[in-house]
Amino acid sequence: MMFWVLAAVLTVAATISLLVPLARTVSRQDNATEHDAEVYYDQLREIDRDIEAGLIAGEEAEYARAEVGRRLLKATNANAKSRPGSSLSSAARYVVIVFLPVMAVIGYLAIGKPGMPAQPLAARIQAPANDETDIRTLIAQAESHLASNPGDGWGWDVLAPIYLNLGRAGDAETAYRNAIRLLGSSASRQAGLGRALFAESGGIVTAEAQAAFQAAEDLEPGNPLSSFFLALGLAQEGNYAGAKAAFEKLAANSPPDAPWMPQVQAHLKGINANLAAAGEAAPGPDEEDVAAAMEMSPEDRMAMIGGMVDGLDARLRDNPDDLDGWLRLVRSYMVLGEPEKAGDALDRALLNFEDGSAGRLALTKAAEQFGLTPQRVE
Amino acid sequence: MIVELGHYALVMALAVALIQSVLPVIGSIRQDAGLMALAPAAAVTSFFLVLLAFIALTVSYVTSDFSVQNVWENSHSLKPMIYKISGVWGNHEGSMLLWILILVFFSALVAFFGGNLPAALKANALAVQAWITAAFLFFVLLTSNPFQRLNPAPIEGRDLNPILQDVGLAIHPPLLYLGYVGFSICFSFAIAALIDGRIDAAWARWVRPWTLAAWTALTAGIAMGSYWAYYELGWGGWWFWDPVENASFMPWLAGTALLHSALVMEKREALKIWTVLLAIITFSLSLLGTFLVRSGVLTSVHAFATDPTRGVFILGILVVFIGGAFSLFALRAQSLKQGGLFAPISREGALVLNNLFLTTATLTVLVGTLYPLVLEAVTGSKISVGPPFFNLTFGPLMVPLLLAVPFGPLLAWKRGDLLAVSQRLYAAAGVSLLTALAVVYFATGAPVLAALGIAMGVWLICGSLTDLAYRAGAGRVDLQVMWQRFKGLPRSAFGTALAHLGLGVSVIGIVAVTAFSTELVTTMKQGGQTVSGPYTLVFEGLRPNTGPNYTELQGRFAVSRDGEQFATVTSAKRIYTARRMPTTEAGILTIGPSQLYVSLGDETPDGGTVVRVWWKPWVTFIWIGTIIMSVGGIVSLFDRRLRVGAPAASRKRAAAAEQAI
Repeated sequence: MMFWVLAAVLTVAATISLLVPLARTVSRQDNATEHDAEVYYDQLREIDRDIEAGLIAGEEAEYARAEVGRRLLKATNANAKSRPGSSLSSAARYVVIVFLPVMAVIGYLAIGKPGMPAQPLAARIQAPANDETDIRTLIAQAESHLASNPGDGWGWDVLAPIYLNLGRAGDAETAYRNAIRLLGSSASRQAGLGRALFAESGGIVTAEAQAAFQAAEDLEPGNPLSSFFLALGLAQEGNYAGAKAAFEKLAANSPPDAPWMPQVQAHLKGINANLAAAGEAAPGPDEEDVAAAMEMSPEDRMAMIGGMVDGLDARLRDNPDDLDGWLRLVRSYMVLGEPEKAGDALDRALLNFEDGSAGRLALTKAAEQFGLTPQRVE
Repeated sequence: MIVELGHYALVMALAVALIQSVLPVIGSIRQDAGLMALAPAAAVTSFFLVLLAFIALTVSYVTSDFSVQNVWENSHSLKPMIYKISGVWGNHEGSMLLWILILVFFSALVAFFGGNLPAALKANALAVQAWITAAFLFFVLLTSNPFQRLNPAPIEGRDLNPILQDVGLAIHPPLLYLGYVGFSICFSFAIAALIDGRIDAAWARWVRPWTLAAWTALTAGIAMGSYWAYYELGWGGWWFWDPVENASFMPWLAGTALLHSALVMEKREALKIWTVLLAIITFSLSLLGTFLVRSGVLTSVHAFATDPTRGVFILGILVVFIGGAFSLFALRAQSLKQGGLFAPISREGALVLNNLFLTTATLTVLVGTLYPLVLEAVTGSKISVGPPFFNLTFGPLMVPLLLAVPFGPLLAWKRGDLLAVSQRLYAAAGVSLLTALAVVYFATGAPVLAALGIAMGVWLICGSLTDLAYRAGAGRVDLQVMWQRFKGLPRSAFGTALAHLGLGVSVIGIVAVTAFSTELVTTMKQGGQTVSGPYTLVFEGLRPNTGPNYTELQGRFAVSRDGEQFATVTSAKRIYTARRMPTTEAGILTIGPSQLYVSLGDETPDGGTVVRVWWKPWVTFIWIGTIIMSVGGIVSLFDRRLRVGAPAASRKRAAAAEQAI
């Protein structure tokens, strides 16, 4: 409402400012030739000054004078006077009064958002939270609070898991690290940090993540979260026997209806399949292979790695349910600098996991991390 | 609410512009004083409306109102305040709004200061100005609306392109637009005169101050842009013949020619066709520049976003205005009566020569800018027309022109005496030759061309001083009279001399940098040393630093001469957090007129850092020269004569003068 009041004031002001010249009875009639004549008189005076300064001499000066004089004559001969406000002005008045407001309002309504208030960031952040407040606004409020009070450990502690749930892994990592630094280590913080690192690396339990989970495990042995990820880390390293034992231990210690049980079972199934396949081909490099690789020339080493990757690729064709295997394959191709093959592997992997399944999610995350776009998405 | 009010004001500005486009023209045809008086009122009204819109957008930027899409796309709540404000025009929509604001600003100036203009000319010129305003308001409202809203509003913006986060952005576009858009007034005056059929000496006098104002702003704007590119891009160059630079340089060349033509037309009523055509061409080149830069035809830091509909729209505006102007010109060309005659050797002749060279130069730049685009469109093959082309074509064109400059102001109107003028310039020529010899002597092994180039700069400086001295009566009257006369010289004489002198200063800078600068690319470790010019740089190592919205690695260098450290210079590599975009901040140390320019490169695996060091002797002369040129323009602008033409006011003055006697 207030908007329309102000808009109306603006419209009236603009209309009036256009009506004033039309309404005014012109006191002095403008004569174009007078303006011209004034310029030429000035030019004559200028010639006088030049003569005085010795810049232009007798005959030339006379010529110049004559020339300006001719212009002056010509200008004063062509005499046209303008008429003061006439019937034309009153017609113009109606044009202004009707056209200006109508055009402005119609034009604005077509493209504007009349009811929408301005939303300065400061006002939005300071507004008290209510049920309808967007979670993102709450986060922003917390962020602006922490920006001015970076030493508030509890603030970081609250914000960290929210970041993690929203998929802002980098921010979650920072928040967990700040919370640990300010409030000290705890199992849940370390496990959270581990998960943040896990998410950041696209679903790989990196050494750093493993250290965090291990710290959580040390603080609270048997914590299902850290146990789960430590087991997963073993599986990703290719230590299927160790992973199997760890997952089985976790399953034994958990109530059968625990929310993580389906995941544990899925991983166990994959690991068992791998163990079965291990009889035929080694799934990953063993210590000897690694030691041998260290001594090889770079070309040979690449060839060996390439061979192992090809082996993995072949094995996955027969055993396509192995999520960890797929992830490892995609990553390996990226490391080898063959993004096309990585993309192809990703596409093949996606065929084996249903929409919304944990496997598909992990693959999509990995794809995002490597900047791959799945080609064949049904 | 302020956002929507600004939006509404912008729509209403369009309505006002449409009224201003039509009614005053009818008024001038029917000689109706009321309708003609509508033009200035409408011009002032639309200025305030657009200003309100601009303020509304600025407020949205300052308060980080991300419900405005344009703010969300180009701002960030942590950005320092100055960049929040300059960010308003650091994007396509906002910069077009600034374009329009300056357009209506000039209209309002004509309304305010145009008291000396005949009513019909003023009404028509403002109407033409309103055509341009309306066209661009349609463009902004339909294709590039800065007031698009987002609901719900995002909580954080996407930040401004880091390269644009610099004081340069606060100054360079407004100045450049003042020049670019300022030439619209000359265009409007030309069209108004063609409609009216009155193109005479008085018209030229009325156009001149506007040409001067636009030219002054454009000179400063281009120079500012050049200096900005010089220190921000970290490549050590000050002019790249980049199409975007050319887009601003072409109106400058044509505008310079226009400035000189209008002078002849005012004095002698000659060169009418030149003047009117140049007025049209200059603004057409401004429009072409806007099209090239804003349509996304050229990819550069200026092409904020590429959207084909925008390009087509601006192309439409371009075709209608340029085509319409030339058609009108063709219709009226016969009615342009030949003015005063002049001998080839005369001030007029010299200015025709100047026009020929400047327009040829403009054409050269135009070809060099458009040819690659046309070729790519036709054959699909990409070529780049770089500095070699321009150095080979533009350079040689400028040499005879620069040599001729000192002669121009000294030649008499109508019929000049070249021999007499040459005699007056003996001293200037002598000093220039001595300079050339001195350069060869001191900079042993200096290229002959460099010595001659610097001599040419000195020639320009001495020539303009000679002009002033001659006007004051040097050699003919005694010193005291000379001083009196010097003080009494018209401002425009000082303006001319300053502009030509500034040109000389710039030429010296350009030649010195081209011939004597040294470039060095090396890898340095902490404590390492390198020599550039007469200075020794010691690398003190890298250290991290955090700014408001970026983190950076600063490299510090201790600079010493003859073993004595006297300064440090810091260069940095920045990462702007919101866009994860790296930039290089060059370290520049100004020593007298020269500069030491240090730019950090990548780190090498063995712990060193690639460092580029340039020693640029006298480089600042380039920009100091342009500042002197702009000051010349401003001084000229205050010449009393440019305000003549208002019958009533001057009659009062005359009466006052009579009483005084």
